[in-house]
Amino acid sequence: MDNEVQQRVLKVFCEVLERKEDEIQLDASIRSDLQLDSLKQMTLFIALEDEFQRTIPLEVVVGLDTVKDIIDFVVKKVLQEPSAA
Amino acid sequence: MNRRVVITGAGVISPIGIGVDEFWRQCLQAKSVVAPVPAEWDRYATLRSRLLAPLPDFDSESFGVSRTERLQLDPMTVMVLGAAREALERAGFSLVPGAAGSRSFTLSALDVERTGVYIGTGIGGMYSFLHNHAHQLFQRVRLALKSYADERAPAEGRAALDDALAMMAHGSRFHPFVASMYMPNAASAAVGVKFAITGPNVTYGMACAAGTVATGHAYRAVRDGQVDVALTGGGEYLYDEHGHNFRAFDVAGTLVRDCADPQTANRPFDQKRSGFLFSHGGAAVLVLEELEHARRRGATPIAEVIGYAETFDAHSMMSLAPGGAQIERMIRGALADAGVAPHEVDYVNAHGTGTQNNDAIEAEVIERVFSKRPLVNTTKSLLGHTIGASGAIEAVVTALSLREGTTHVCKNLETPVRDLNFVRTVGKHDLRVGLSQSFAFGGHNAAVVLRRYS
Repeated sequence: MDNEVQQRVLKVFCEVLERKEDEIQLDASIRSDLQLDSLKQMTLFIALEDEFQRTIPLEVVVGLDTVKDIIDFVVKKVLQEPSAA
Repeated sequence: MNRRVVITGAGVISPIGIGVDEFWRQCLQAKSVVAPVPAEWDRYATLRSRLLAPLPDFDSESFGVSRTERLQLDPMTVMVLGAAREALERAGFSLVPGAAGSRSFTLSALDVERTGVYIGTGIGGMYSFLHNHAHQLFQRVRLALKSYADERAPAEGRAALDDALAMMAHGSRFHPFVASMYMPNAASAAVGVKFAITGPNVTYGMACAAGTVATGHAYRAVRDGQVDVALTGGGEYLYDEHGHNFRAFDVAGTLVRDCADPQTANRPFDQKRSGFLFSHGGAAVLVLEELEHARRRGATPIAEVIGYAETFDAHSMMSLAPGGAQIERMIRGALADAGVAPHEVDYVNAHGTGTQNNDAIEAEVIERVFSKRPLVNTTKSLLGHTIGASGAIEAVVTALSLREGTTHVCKNLETPVRDLNFVRTVGKHDLRVGLSQSFAFGGHNAAVVLRRYS
């Protein structure tokens, strides 16, 4: 389950960043390493919402730093909410 | 000396077909789609017209529009991007991805600084505006009402509250990019971004004439040497969850009335016409190119653009001026620009909405200028009215009609409003010059003149 979620999150990262999966490290900071500015961060979370069919409050983004943080957030928070589909 | 301008590519998304080949095949088969209005719209208003022409489902990724792009764009913009991609590919430009995984392209053999984008639309990203406005209006009210309904409402009032709550349904979020989704220039800007085109990038908002105005201005820009290549056309997406856009035209009494056979309700130029068939929308993009530029690339022109003119009625925001004097002046101006006489025009793709006023005045002017000689049809008899996309779609139809020496019928025409040479059957004709014209709310009139390429 978690591995599947990880793959789906990484797929979204690849789409938003327009990069290949092997270029995205789990411990990379989305801001300092992956250079996601605020617009790109919003794009990422909107794409994650679409991928997992859940609504993600954008204010939570502030507390997340690494790719792994986001995967954990999806597993522990996002997927605990009912699907919007 | 003016430079010659040719159409080297086209792309179409329409209610009757996606892609130029499918669209043209369906045109010649007189395909139309007529469906009842969505049942949920009846919850919000009493509608007089009950019919519309829906768009088929489309997979935006098949247009080269990724999920990440789609989530940040109005459906109108997505359709314009799809039509632009088809037009560029058909024109023979190779789309080279910008980088591994990139959503943008560079175009081989194209000087992007000498290329312009000219797109028309009537209402821009209105769907995104309305979709997000429902969230703005209803989200907090709905939460408060639901809390009341769940905790304190008397049992006998629960059904009415549930009904009200259902009517307040809205999207899951207020989109952080909504401003860039509904701005009218979103489609032309998105085309420029997608294909890295850095020349002039302009949006035309002349309602039902927007696609024709955009095409005409793109023609002038290429002819006059401002650019060598122009992507031009129009897009419209008129659906919304609450039927707002439909009601806007319905309340004005402009839409078709139901009849015994809904498939025959849309009947432009017929004495029993009752209004225009509301379409969910569509898009068309044409590649206009300076002739020598096209020759150097080895591109094969579909047709040549040889004239354009526009006038303004200065009469009414919603109705054509009786007598059509400014329409006539516009047609004669376009013919003069093209250097052709009225008797040399073989085919007129009329605005032909199906409203009482439009068809009576337009038919009168066509006869006055051209007599009964040219073939006349209206593509709106097949698609319904796609507003800002219509002029561009009809320019594509005109170009294909000249190239193929045939055109589609004027569907559902039984007793014409005037005895013109309306297309009743699909046949072969020697079509050398064609004119496509559009008129818009506000009073804008525009026409492009095309010639068979030889």
